[in-house]
Amino acid sequence: MEKLKRSLTAFIVPVLSILLAFAIGAVIMALLGASPVQALQYLLKGAFGSRANIGTTLSRATPLMFTALCACFAYKCGVFNLGGEGQFIIGSVAACYVALRSGITGPAAAILCLIAGALAGGLWGAVPGALKITRGQNEMIISIMLNYVATLFMGVVYTNWLRDASVPQTEAVPEATQLPRVVTGMRFTWALVIAVAVGLLLYYFLFWTSTGFKLRAVGFNMTASRFNGFPIKRYILTSFIVSGAIAGLGGAAELLGTQLRLINGFGAGYGFDGVAMALIGQLHPIATMLVAVFFAALRTGSTTMQAATGVPTSVSDIIQALVIVFSVAGMALVKLPEFEAFRLRVFGKRGRKEGVKA
Amino acid sequence: MSFVSNLLLATVRMAVPLLFIALAELYSERAGMVNIGLEGLAAIGSLVGFLVCFISGSTWLGILCGALAGIAVNMIYAVATVSLCADHTVYGMAMNIFAPALASFIYRVYFGAGSDLSQIELMRGIGLPVLKDIPFLGDLLFNQTPMVYIAFALVAFTVVFFNKTRAGLNYKSVGEHPKAAATLGIDVIRVKYLACVICGALAGIGGAYLTTCYSNTYSEGTVAGRGFIALAAVIFGRWSGGGVLLACLFFGFCDALQIRLQVASFGLPYQFFQMIPYLATIVVLAAIGAKKAGPKASGKPYRREER
Repeated sequence: MEKLKRSLTAFIVPVLSILLAFAIGAVIMALLGASPVQALQYLLKGAFGSRANIGTTLSRATPLMFTALCACFAYKCGVFNLGGEGQFIIGSVAACYVALRSGITGPAAAILCLIAGALAGGLWGAVPGALKITRGQNEMIISIMLNYVATLFMGVVYTNWLRDASVPQTEAVPEATQLPRVVTGMRFTWALVIAVAVGLLLYYFLFWTSTGFKLRAVGFNMTASRFNGFPIKRYILTSFIVSGAIAGLGGAAELLGTQLRLINGFGAGYGFDGVAMALIGQLHPIATMLVAVFFAALRTGSTTMQAATGVPTSVSDIIQALVIVFSVAGMALVKLPEFEAFRLRVFGKRGRKEGVKA
Repeated sequence: MSFVSNLLLATVRMAVPLLFIALAELYSERAGMVNIGLEGLAAIGSLVGFLVCFISGSTWLGILCGALAGIAVNMIYAVATVSLCADHTVYGMAMNIFAPALASFIYRVYFGAGSDLSQIELMRGIGLPVLKDIPFLGDLLFNQTPMVYIAFALVAFTVVFFNKTRAGLNYKSVGEHPKAAATLGIDVIRVKYLACVICGALAGIGGAYLTTCYSNTYSEGTVAGRGFIALAAVIFGRWSGGGVLLACLFFGFCDALQIRLQVASFGLPYQFFQMIPYLATIVVLAAIGAKKAGPKASGKPYRREER
């Protein structure tokens, strides 16, 4: 019963936050002189209105799923990996090198690219992890600094080392190496399948294996885990590496599936978005993936909305941001003893009656 | 010689926004509030500062409104963390996502999509009489914009406030041991809200400085990680006013150095030089390790009823 109540709150809070965020979004739309109902209709239509649109939404959800799972996994172990963006970018840079410079093409090259991406991302994630366990240093600041370094490094790659003639971008990944679409007429590629597989794997690992349980225990109460003899430091480092590898794999998959070349702005913002999605999804891998689809739907749909009603796409960014602002505050609110008292005062009668019956 | 003096001049200019933002964090953490949302606060400050200055033509009004915007946004953080006891780090991250989104939304609504860069006139420098004529040091320290003087004055005030005044010691006690502070009759909740007001204002000013005193345009990457570097500066500066000043001068120097080196080029891609401030932050943090010097109750929720 207690568990059911908890999972019900975990579901209700994000949903209410989304509704509240949309309500404020609607007010903003109205203030901008558009009809909110119409704008929201176009938003929905743009995101899910046709097979092609659904395909685009899923395609845009793919990289978000990777960075969201990256944040989710690290946070489950009690460390804050804010470096998803850097790990994503470094993964794509490694994949780009393999795709353009290894001399091989085809599915084998694609697999090699994905492995290279995951390795590079894992390595990039290992830096804040290692500094945390050896120097006790704040992993958040380090991982964010590494985001900037990765973005600049990618800049060197596309403006110098792998530059495509006069344009500041790399050459495109050879067609044979690209990740193909799963269904014709829909834009999403096998990258989505990989993302979902990673998500399911994480879910299985975290909730159905004993190592996963220990990892969650470390995240839940580090001191208790230490007294239990869990090798905390090893867990922290491993979770950083795995988390980075997921983001790096995502960068590689995004390059091979959708973007095809490194260019200014590649991966920008995905890291923090990932953190937001993981938090809204209550750090549950599957819920997190659904939130990624929701974020992607907002982005795809807002383009249609802008074209049809003139409401700028950045309204959808505001809605997204409000969802996180509300859901995190909401989760804190329901944990307050005052809230529990309030809930009992309002619904208390019924609760007591049930108690009598039982 | 001119390379060195230009470098030092740029160091002071680059250190000032960091200094405002780092002092914001210092005031916040001294009351036990770890606020990692500085990047977002500075982003909204830079936008509002720019926009108000663009409309009114007054840099001072811009900076004032930047501070007010910082306060307004930080009140969301304050309610969530002080009253609702939300996790400081998680909520700071939420602010880092929310505030920049709000800033770019306002910019796009006001200027329209794809508009060319609007520019404003930067705040002018004011030389302090007599002092500015001191060779070398005069230009460096006494011939700057008033914001530079304000920043340094604020450091001096902070040092005195936290070490020499009763109010400052009371304020600090909230960050060290809120329950003990409460038994002495200090209104812990009020101090925490006050800390959030100061933090929002200073971070907003730091952001507004970037658009009204440093670069005369606004773009989405204006703050460029300074909110996080400021966090590192507080750790590096050991949570003291003087320490934070030195840390900010160091990071400002790194920033100034990378700009100078970019100009000199040495045949390397310019991005490598741009990495310098970020790499320096990592190296510094790794080098100082985790000596716990910060306020003891930092980041912990305070609930009056719990004993």
